Amino acid sequence: MMSSVPATEKKSKLLVYTIEECPVCGQKTKRAFQVGDYITKEASKCPKCGNTSRIILIYGESERVK
Amino acid sequence: MSPFTSIQLQLSDYTGTILYAISLLFFIVYGFYGARIQVYFALSDIGRGLNKLKVMKDKARKETIEYLTNTGKTPTDPTERIDQFLDYVTIMPVDIDPQGLVGKIDHVVTTRNDRVRAEVGALITKNDPMTVSVSENLLEVASSLNMIHKIVRHYYLLGKKTNSYFTLVQLQMIMPMIIQEADALLNAIDSFKVGQPVGDGIGPVIASRYMVGREKQPIAKDTVMAISEYKGRKLYVVKAEGPMAYVGQPGVAMQKIIEEMGVKPSAIIMVDAALKLEGEKSGEIAEGVGAAIGGIGVEKFQIEEVATKHKIPLYAILIKQSILEAITVMRKEIAEASDKVVQTLNRVIEEKTHEGDDVVIAGIGNTIGVAQ
Repeated sequence: MMSSVPATEKKSKLLVYTIEECPVCGQKTKRAFQVGDYITKEASKCPKCGNTSRIILIYGESERVK
Repeated sequence: MSPFTSIQLQLSDYTGTILYAISLLFFIVYGFYGARIQVYFALSDIGRGLNKLKVMKDKARKETIEYLTNTGKTPTDPTERIDQFLDYVTIMPVDIDPQGLVGKIDHVVTTRNDRVRAEVGALITKNDPMTVSVSENLLEVASSLNMIHKIVRHYYLLGKKTNSYFTLVQLQMIMPMIIQEADALLNAIDSFKVGQPVGDGIGPVIASRYMVGREKQPIAKDTVMAISEYKGRKLYVVKAEGPMAYVGQPGVAMQKIIEEMGVKPSAIIMVDAALKLEGEKSGEIAEGVGAAIGGIGVEKFQIEEVATKHKIPLYAILIKQSILEAITVMRKEIAEASDKVVQTLNRVIEEKTHEGDDVVIAGIGNTIGVAQ
């Protein structure tokens, strides 16, 4: 009966990353998300083979803060 | 014996009686005023939640105004117009005669969406599809928070006015869930403003894997289709047009593919995010049958209609997540489930269809930050 509004959950800061993949050699690179990034967008040159990489994923990873 | 010690002894004789009288008084008072005491606690509890909701809806409104002003480059102050939008109502059709109800709902909702888009487009000068779609979504969030606050305030004041214990206790019990949903909506604003994919976009992420590098064609409003191939099967892949914040019209798209284009698919496979139950892990994959699509029900009805009419089996692949994860930036565990979802999807195609068959695949969800 005496339910109450929950105390603020432990705040976790989300760091957002962009994952690029080279369609030729499969090399994956992870970098911080930049405004304008979207999945399937052509991105930087592959550091391994020099072909144009493509953004395959964008996700947030939580980092606990005190 | 001193007089002081005598008084002390006398008091200790009466202690039991005094305590008994106090506890008796407490029970009598509680018997008469218990409900009022509970009402007092419920009111203060709901009041705290209501304040939180007010802060949230004010923040959402402020962020929306800032986005339209700074990114949308409104020529004048949009505050007044946005305040009108927040109270915008959609009157659902009468349901006492349910025949043709879905068509009526579709008509009303389409009219509303068209009007909102047209007005947002007229309000901002930078009216590229991305900015307009994000503005629409931000208005939707601000409007939802405004409505949640209004409804909670209504029942709070009604309970207070009528001293209705049961009204207040019901509201008090669901308040944590309301706050949780409101918090999720508020957090969604940050992701939408910068165009980050949200958890709900996992369906479009999977569809985009089959569409990339293929020719895309518009198939319905805000919806695109590409023809792909997998192990001798011809795949008709459908998703909302990204990277805008669209959900598209997959129901209309499937009707067009099957009834206008004359495609006879052996299966329709839908990939969508699904709300997890407490205890389930985010990113878990569940398989099933049926139309995997949420929303008001119009799209689901259209898909079920066309599938039933043509006797096409409907398969569903669901990716579990919480409401917060569904409308905020896609979490790592959900994004990383995408490879496993593709494997599952390929397996379902192989198991349920044969070489030479046509298959319709639909990636359902908000496609912000996910192109094709």
